[in-house]
Amino acid sequence: MNPLEYYPIVDLGPVMKGMVIGGLGIFHVFLAQFAIGGGMLLCYLQWLHMQGKCPLARRFADGYFKALVLVSFVLGAVTGVAMWFTSIQISPRTIGVMVHEFHWVWATEWSFFCLEVVAGYLFYRYGPRLADRARMQLLLLYACASWMSLFWINGILSWQLTPGGWLESRSVWDGFFNPGFLPSLIFRTVSAAAIASLAACVLINLVGGFTRDQRESLVAICARPLVLMLVMPLLGAWYLGTMPPASRSWATGGSVPMTMFLTMAVGSSMLIGLYAVVGILRQRLFVNGATSLLLLALAFVATAGGEFVREGVRKPFTIREYLYSNAITRDGIAVLRERGSITDDPYPLRDEAAYPAEQLVVGAKVFRAQCSVCHTLEGINAVVDLAATWSLDQRRLNIAQLQRTKPFMPPFAGTAEELESLVQLIGWIEAGRPAAWQESGDAAVLNQIRQWIAEAGTSPGHERMSAELVAAEVREATGSPAPRRSMKVEP
Amino acid sequence: MTEVFPLGFPPATCFYLVLLVATLVLHMVFMHYVLAGAAYLAFGRFMGPKRCAVCGWQAILIDWLPFATGLAITAGVAPLLFVQILYQREFYTANLLLSHRWMAILPVLIVCFYLLYVQKSAWITRRAWFWRIPVAGVVFAGFAFIAFSWTENHLLSLDAAAWPELYGSGSFRYTSSGLLPRLGIWFFAAFTTLAVELAWQGRLLGMKLVQPPPGVAVMGLSAVRRLSLTATSGGLGVLACGTAYAWTLPGETTRALTGPLGGAWLVAAVAGLAVQLAAWAWVAVQNRFPLPLLITATAGCLVSLTSGVVLREVVRVSTVDIKALAVAHAEAATIGGLPVFLLFAAVNAAAIVWCIRTAARAV
Ligand code: HEM
Repeated sequence: MNPLEYYPIVDLGPVMKGMVIGGLGIFHVFLAQFAIGGGMLLCYLQWLHMQGKCPLARRFADGYFKALVLVSFVLGAVTGVAMWFTSIQISPRTIGVMVHEFHWVWATEWSFFCLEVVAGYLFYRYGPRLADRARMQLLLLYACASWMSLFWINGILSWQLTPGGWLESRSVWDGFFNPGFLPSLIFRTVSAAAIASLAACVLINLVGGFTRDQRESLVAICARPLVLMLVMPLLGAWYLGTMPPASRSWATGGSVPMTMFLTMAVGSSMLIGLYAVVGILRQRLFVNGATSLLLLALAFVATAGGEFVREGVRKPFTIREYLYSNAITRDGIAVLRERGSITDDPYPLRDEAAYPAEQLVVGAKVFRAQCSVCHTLEGINAVVDLAATWSLDQRRLNIAQLQRTKPFMPPFAGTAEELESLVQLIGWIEAGRPAAWQESGDAAVLNQIRQWIAEAGTSPGHERMSAELVAAEVREATGSPAPRRSMKVEP
Repeated sequence: MTEVFPLGFPPATCFYLVLLVATLVLHMVFMHYVLAGAAYLAFGRFMGPKRCAVCGWQAILIDWLPFATGLAITAGVAPLLFVQILYQREFYTANLLLSHRWMAILPVLIVCFYLLYVQKSAWITRRAWFWRIPVAGVVFAGFAFIAFSWTENHLLSLDAAAWPELYGSGSFRYTSSGLLPRLGIWFFAAFTTLAVELAWQGRLLGMKLVQPPPGVAVMGLSAVRRLSLTATSGGLGVLACGTAYAWTLPGETTRALTGPLGGAWLVAAVAGLAVQLAAWAWVAVQNRFPLPLLITATAGCLVSLTSGVVLREVVRVSTVDIKALAVAHAEAATIGGLPVFLLFAAVNAAAIVWCIRTAARAV
């Protein structure tokens, strides 16, 4: 496989690319889960109506479905396409591999999506005129189709973090039914039910025509699925358990932002669950428009936290153990260290004339190829800021041993000359982009860089981290003392 | 190439090409309704309330355009998948080069989609007629922009030599002499498809195609003749733009289009168009729309649409290095999951038919 495919990389200026895809992803997932949970809730309401247990259910279901169509059929569908296009903008190779490996799964998902759209639209258009049985049948088809869409997509998304047996067999089903598939599917199903319930509470208050008593009884019914929130902690723990140890360790303390986002997700879910179970279901408190909106906003925060963690803990990979975040294959690191990471790059820099030295142009290209997917030069998560306190040699060492500097970064995948160019670029920007710049090319420095790169090896940092974690556990178990840390770079 | 499209390619390439063409035809069926429908609606709104009141097509379009847009998007997903299998590097590179400009089609699509709902809402009917003109105008402009962007993206994907320079220039616009005539082909072809689709809708919804409703004065052309005019002007527009587009193509591509690979399809496309034009002319003369004529126009439309999509692919395969891509296609073809897809596609298609029948019976 080609170690690196060259695409005209987009530059979002001071904005981190991850923020764009992450932001859109959170929004889309929230809407999609609303649609999925909405289908299930509507079936439940229709069933209650047919059993004579809730005379208002039919009327409310029609109103709810209108909102579902307007929000989820339009925004949900278009943001779905947008996810695809944004993925191409951020990491064409990652989405390319996903499409290549799972195109029949995606095509299968599409066939369910078609059914979802047709069943949903017919219900929206003719539902109020249909007999109960036909309504129930349409709703069931709609709900099954939308949940099946989740089923298929979930396999692909969870594969990215836990590719499981696929890494060896390359079998589509080994990849699809990966270790994270089931916990993630159940977790998302419960989230979908919760979001739909909360959205229903908002709508009950927004839609006119119901008395206060009627609204109260509808809230009590629509909030029932929120009981499922009680199993969320267990599902979350199960999901965490299936993650690779390094990913899990970042979410549980190893990386501050990751841990914070996980806490945010868990905290918001717990608050919703507690309020729902104790307040709404046990004490039968009435949930007015403002409270239900607040609860729905909390659900959004929980979704955002969860999605951020799911995206973040994959690092330094976009497809775990296979493709690094910067679209370089795991096996490609060694090749690019020989060949150079920009040697075959056909794309010039957009601002090439602004660099006073060829070495800086090379540095900027190296940054573009290897770092720009997660960093900016001077904006958010800027390399210049991150390296600001490092000495010149420290910059060389830390970049040469990138995966040791932070295990969620991939190994440096270029020549010593390329690395030195990148270091010079950082220095030049830090110095305020002066009009003249002295190129560096000291053979001793380059040799030192070569040695550092070689010492770091080509494996991702977490492998070394895992080895250390295991060693620490063994030490703890056997009571033997920890070895003293040495500043000297290990061979 | 000495064989007719899609034969003569390695089996995997041939397989994915057929899938791309089939799914893209489906996308075009709905996309044409949306694009030409939005133009028709905007024109009607511009002509004023009296004209619109006597035009049943306007009412149908107002009612059905949101759903058709949903279908156009949904149907667009499948060819999007196969384009990525067949021409991954080309498609992605064009997307990336156009960058924000390309991505703009998504917010535009959302705005158009919502405005379509606004157009059929009670809210706007309570307002002065004047407001409907900009709403319909924005919807049409939005869809036209999306169509323009797809064409621009497509042509850029075929022009590999221009990629590095365009990237270096920092521009997000790609211009080529073929852009407008090619867009023109799609735009005008959309009216021929729309006319057939509206005719079927009118028939199925029991619309009076000859006599105006009692008490309504006839204004301008009859409903049938209006459709005939729509289809005929679309067909003639396709011919004019097609000729202009052919002028812009390099010799090798023209040879592929007229030679063994595309020649038969070119003949079929022109024949399909001729059949449609003849059928619509007959409809206009008779001022009624008997079923056999509708079936003839539909067949002509399907033949020319399918052939047009095939010719679009002939242009592409004769421009890119399809032999080099064949390795990736063969690899993709070894990946499992096809039987599962076929199974669920059949089950879901049956379920879709069942849904439509259930709703139709109830209504
Ligand atoms: C409703 C708004 C849309 C309009 C007006 C529209 C219009 C067009 C046009 C004019 C083309 C042909 C371009 C050419 O050959 O020059 C095209 C192709 C295509 N469209 Fe659409 N489109 C729309 C929405 C979509 C959406 C939302 C998707 C994806 C989900 C999509 C997927 C495709 C695909 C895959 C192709 C073929 C691209 C290729 O072969 O390179 N379209 N569209």
